[in-house]
Amino acid sequence: MPDKNALTEIYRLNCFVENKPGVLARIVGLISGRGYNIQTLNVGPTEDGTVSRMRIDVLGTEKVLEQIMLQLRNQVNVIEVTSRRRQQ
Amino acid sequence: MNHNAERSGARALVESLEKAGVEVLFGYPGGAVLDIFNCLTDAKFQFILGRHEQGSAHMADGYARSTGKPGVCVVTSGPGATNTITGLATANMDGVPMVLITGQVPLSQIGTDAFQEADTTGITRAVSKHNFLVHSADEIPEIVAQAFYIATHGKPGPVVIDIPKNCQQAKTTAQYPERVSLRAYHPESAATGTQMARLAKMLNDAKRPVIYAGGGVIASGAAKDVAAIAHRANIPVATTLMGLGAFDEHDPLSLRMAGMHGTWAANRAIADADLLIALGVRFNDRITGKLAKYASKAKIVHVDCDPASIGKNVGVDLGIVADVKDVLTTVSSRVKSASHADWLEKIAAWKAERPMSYKPLHEAVIMPQQVVEAIDAATDGRAVIVTDVGQHQMWCAQYFRHSIPRHFLSSGGMGTMGFGIPAAIGAAIARPDHMTVAVCGDGGAQMTFEELVVAVEHKLPLTVVVINNGCLGMVRQWQELFYKGNYSGSILTVKGRSANEHLEQDLEYDYLPDFTMMAKAHGAAAYRVIDPAKLEPTIRKAVKSGKPSLVEVIVEPRANVYPMIPGGHGVEDTVFD
Ligand SMILES: Cc1ncc(C[n+]2csc(CCOP(=O)(O)OP(=O)(O)O)c2C)c(N)n1
Ligand SMILES: [Mg+2]
Repeated sequence: MPDKNALTEIYRLNCFVENKPGVLARIVGLISGRGYNIQTLNVGPTEDGTVSRMRIDVLGTEKVLEQIMLQLRNQVNVIEVTSRRRQQ
Repeated sequence: MNHNAERSGARALVESLEKAGVEVLFGYPGGAVLDIFNCLTDAKFQFILGRHEQGSAHMADGYARSTGKPGVCVVTSGPGATNTITGLATANMDGVPMVLITGQVPLSQIGTDAFQEADTTGITRAVSKHNFLVHSADEIPEIVAQAFYIATHGKPGPVVIDIPKNCQQAKTTAQYPERVSLRAYHPESAATGTQMARLAKMLNDAKRPVIYAGGGVIASGAAKDVAAIAHRANIPVATTLMGLGAFDEHDPLSLRMAGMHGTWAANRAIADADLLIALGVRFNDRITGKLAKYASKAKIVHVDCDPASIGKNVGVDLGIVADVKDVLTTVSSRVKSASHADWLEKIAAWKAERPMSYKPLHEAVIMPQQVVEAIDAATDGRAVIVTDVGQHQMWCAQYFRHSIPRHFLSSGGMGTMGFGIPAAIGAAIARPDHMTVAVCGDGGAQMTFEELVVAVEHKLPLTVVVINNGCLGMVRQWQELFYKGNYSGSILTVKGRSANEHLEQDLEYDYLPDFTMMAKAHGAAAYRVIDPAKLEPTIRKAVKSGKPSLVEVIVEPRANVYPMIPGGHGVEDTVFD
């Protein structure tokens, strides 16, 4: 579980995933299952119908974010993930 | 065979498993997999019927750990699938390649709370590497190929294929693909030239290096390469629990196991090292203890195939995401020979200062550590040792001299009681030419004892040794050390149970069940040993018989696992016997 005091920054994850059933649940489960709270979640289509785009805002530290990114990249259905820090 | 032949999804599944190279399928039938079972009788692979789906899953796991090939298992929907969860989680934590096929209610009934419906992909998501829900028979060959690819590439792990009954029955002409292409999953990664140069320089500059080998060394088949580098530059080698067998413990360079119950020499050397070369490890908390103090004088190199494991628990100076064997074979020619004489002298002193040892508590009572030494002696250290979880697991790690990769199989990450017997059966089926010894506690042996029938049916050369200390020893030990000896819920004999359990203290026989009677009821030969003089001869007799057998050894109940670094502490807080 993350240390609540360390949760200071909001990070925006931009995730391109295969548009298949179960992928959304998998991504959300991966983040929430590790005790991190998702602030905003936005899923939509891209021009390529087989790819969905997810925008996920999580509260955390840089180290936490790095772990989440690595875990996301390990997922079989995740094509690409990028992140940036958002202003609070 | 006609290539466009139409056949059922179930038949296509069996064909696909054959194409994937499956030699043994473990499992248990039920309504939602009747179509699959109907095709198994003419499959090219062997089918092994377990007695509980958890057992079947652990058998597939044991088969995979002992061979490196994926273990495969098939179970029915609902309770069949949920019974495998512990098996999946166990394999997932330890990076064991497995493919689990589960039946599912017909697609049209999903979400209706149909008979034996469970949301298998939902439930297994957190305990598997990946899972699939099949939507049509046409997908089956491709999904099977993908599942085997995912299970065995990158960090290995279990993959679930959930197949609705109507997809098993529907006709398809789909064929098994020649090659697998996954759009988003490309786990292969190699070290860069710069990384290799840095690694070589760090190795050649180090004055007090330690190689620290984990399960990843065994998974990538790199044990010989570790030995080559260790010998060239005289680098001592410690292992994790999962790394036992990656380096010969008879070798003077061996520090044996490190961590909470590791040797003094291994933990001391890591604390004092100026370079720690961590190969295929996860830096789990049972290993590192207090993180701030862990290897605090050392530069740390971490090589692992899983990018997410590097830097997760311990900060590293050089992280390399690559196959351990590839890295070692490449760097090997650049490692200069060195003697590290001063460093090895220091290490020899630590080994002499605190060798692995135990004090008998009563001369007529067998110490549990002695049982493990007897297994080592009776098998010349060559047995495949499969453990359950608890004190006996740690004694197996400490008192058997491990020397062969894939000869020590244990649930490390999950610590799953009940793993031992079925995993040993899977291992013995995979390698019937080896002696396999399952070492269990009296607690864990009761969790999956029913599987012993499978060893008897298949005449496996398997000996189950139950180290009977009359208690859930590891729990009892923690209660003794950290809960003022309040043995709540941890005593298995009637004598010594706490008052709130409302037990009459008048049983004529205190050790229940009688494991020898249980074994005999399952068709195995069985022996009970109480007399220390009979210990080794009995184990020798059982193991050399080459038949399924059980040896119950009544041991000293008060023995504890030492040395021990209490959780969250550093090596200076090590507690000895
Ligand atoms: C399925 C499961 N339940 C509970 C535990 C917690 N646990 C760890 S060791 C242990 C005691 C094991 O007792 P036994 O099998 O007799 O082995 P011993 O420690 O006595 O050698 C328990 C209950 C566990 N690891 N796995
Ligand atoms: Mg016990």
